[in-house]
Amino acid sequence: MNPEKLARLRELCRDEEAFEQIKQTLADEIQQLEQENNQAYFQVAQQKALFRVITRIRECLDLESIFHATAIEVRQLLGADRVGMFRFYPDSGADDGEFVSEDVDPAFSSAMAQKIHDHCFGDQFAVHYQQGRIQAVTDIYNYGLSDCHIQILAQFQVRANLAVPLLQGQYLWGLLCIHQCRAPREWQQTEIEFVTQIANHLGVALQHAELITNLQVEVQERQQAEQAVRTINQGLQRAIIELQAMNKELEAFSYSVSHDLRAPLRSIDGFSQALLEDYYEHLDLTGQDYLKRIRAATQRMGHLIDDLLNLSRVMRSDMYLESVDLSILAQDICTELQQSQPERQVNFVIQTGLISQGDHRLLQVLLANLLHNAWKFTSKHAHARIEFGTLSTENSIPVYFVRDDGAGFEMTYANKLFKPFQRLHSTIEFSGNGIGLATVQRIVHRHGGRVWAEAAVDQGATFYFTLVAEDAAA
Amino acid sequence: MSEKIILLVEDNPDDEALAIRALKRNHIRNEIVVAHDGVEALDYLFGTGVYTGRNVSVKPAVVLLDLKLPRIDGTEVLRRLREDERTSLLPVVILTTSSEEQDLLNSYALGCNSYIRKPVDFLQFSEAVRQLGMYWLLMNEPPPV
Repeated sequence: MNPEKLARLRELCRDEEAFEQIKQTLADEIQQLEQENNQAYFQVAQQKALFRVITRIRECLDLESIFHATAIEVRQLLGADRVGMFRFYPDSGADDGEFVSEDVDPAFSSAMAQKIHDHCFGDQFAVHYQQGRIQAVTDIYNYGLSDCHIQILAQFQVRANLAVPLLQGQYLWGLLCIHQCRAPREWQQTEIEFVTQIANHLGVALQHAELITNLQVEVQERQQAEQAVRTINQGLQRAIIELQAMNKELEAFSYSVSHDLRAPLRSIDGFSQALLEDYYEHLDLTGQDYLKRIRAATQRMGHLIDDLLNLSRVMRSDMYLESVDLSILAQDICTELQQSQPERQVNFVIQTGLISQGDHRLLQVLLANLLHNAWKFTSKHAHARIEFGTLSTENSIPVYFVRDDGAGFEMTYANKLFKPFQRLHSTIEFSGNGIGLATVQRIVHRHGGRVWAEAAVDQGATFYFTLVAEDAAA
Repeated sequence: MSEKIILLVEDNPDDEALAIRALKRNHIRNEIVVAHDGVEALDYLFGTGVYTGRNVSVKPAVVLLDLKLPRIDGTEVLRRLREDERTSLLPVVILTTSSEEQDLLNSYALGCNSYIRKPVDFLQFSEAVRQLGMYWLLMNEPPPV
C-alpha cells in the first residue's frame, strides 16, 4: 500500500489497534482486487488467443500450420514448457501414435517424431477420452499414475501434464497436451476450460480437413474418370475413323466387283450362245451339252456374285430404325411366292400385328430369305404349311419364328447353317448357293439379336430370331 | 426406221460385239455408231476431236451409255450432255453391269431416261436389247429438233 496514504490514515486513527485492523482489512481487499484484476487480464488474453486461433482456423486450411500457430499461442499464454498435438495412428485403437506438432521451450527436448506406445491405460482409455475426459496431472510422481505411464511421460521430462482429447466428430483423433517440465503445476479451472475450448476448435479444423481430403479424393477420382472417358473416346474416335475408311474401301471394292467381275461372265455366256446359234450343225450333242454346261455355270457364277454383293451391302448399308410391320412384310412375300408357282398347295399361317423396331429394307431381306427357304424346302411335299409368328417368352424380348414342314435337316450340322457357302443339301436336290442364311444372320446381328434353328430330317425346320440385344432389353 | 442412229458407248470389245449381235439378232438394222470411251462419245455428239466437222444436227435416236469407261466415265458424259442445250433432251439409256445404288441414284439424278442392267444370260440380254430397240426406235417420239 502507498506509504503516504498509510501515514494519512494513521493520523486519522485514534488508536494504534484500530489502525492495524483497518490496514489489514484494506490489504485483504486490495489483494482480492488485484487477483480479480489478474484473472480478468488472463481472461482477456485467453479470449484474444482463442480469437487468433479461430481466425487462423478460418483463414487456413492446412492443419500443420494451424497446429503450429496454436501450439505457440497456447504455450505463451499458459507459460507452459511444451504444447503438442499427439495423433493416434488410425486403426491403432488409440494405443499408438506420435506428436505431429509442438512448441517447446528450448531448454527441453522435442517430443516430435518419437513414436509412443501408450499401452498403460488398457481398453477403457480411448473410451474415456472419447467421452470428453480431461486429464490434469499436477505432479506425475504424486498422482497415482502407473509406473508404466510415469515412464512414458518422464521420457519427455514431464512433471505436470494436461491432456485434452482432440475429437474429429465422434472419432478420437488425438490429444492436445500441455506439459510443465521444470516443476509441478496445479492446473487452474480457467486454464483447463481454455485448453478445452482450443481443443474443440481444433476438432472443427480436423473435421474441415477431413472433408477437404474427401473432396480432394473425389475431385481426383472424378478427374481420373474423366481422363479415362476421354481416352476411351479418343480410342473410339480412332476406331470409327478406321472403320469408316475400311467401309469406304469395302464399298470401292464391291463397286468394282459389281462392275468388273460380271463382265467376263457375259462374254463367256454370250459367245457360248453365239457358238450354239451360229455353229450348231458343226457341234455334236456332246459339244452342245458342254456349251450348255458352260452357260449354266456362268449364270450360277453371276448369281453368286449378285448374292455376295447383296450380303456385303447388308453388312455395310446405313441402318434407319423405324417401326416395321413384320406381318405385312411376310404376307407380301408369301403372296409373291404363291403367285410364282400358283399350282403349289401351301397353307400360310401368319400372325398379324407383329411390329418391331428395325431397318425396313433389311428386315424385308431377312424375311424374304427365310420364307423363300421355307418355300423351297417344302417344294417336294404335295401339301405344305409355312408359319410366321412369335413365341410367348418370359422376358419381354419377342422371339420370332418361321416354321415349315418341309425337308428339314440334321441338327448335327446346325452350326454350319449360317456360314457363307455352307449348304446342307446338294444343289441337285434344292437350288441355292448358301448365302441366304449368312445374310439372315448378318441382318439379325446388325439389329443386336440372335438367330438359331431347330429341325429334323423330313419333319421341317424352324428358324427363330430376335431383333433386340438381350442385355439392352433386361 | 433406218434413218435413226444408235450411239453405243462401250469400251469392252466383247460387250460391243454382243450388243451388236443382240441388235442384229432382233432385226434392228439401224446405223450403230460405237464410241469406245467418254471422250469419243462427246466428240461425236459435239463435232469435236476425231469428229470435227460432223453435222451435229444429226443426232442419235438413243444413246446406250456404259458407266465404267476410260478417260471420261459415263456419269460425266451424261452430266455434260444435260448441261449442253444441244443435247439436254437427248434420250440416254444407261446400259451397264452394275446395279449399285450409287450408280442408279447418280444416273437418275443427272437425268438419264432409263437404266438397264446387262444380265449375264445372253438370251436375257438379247431380249432386253430387243425391247430397248422396239421402245426407243419405234414407240418413243423423240424430242423436237
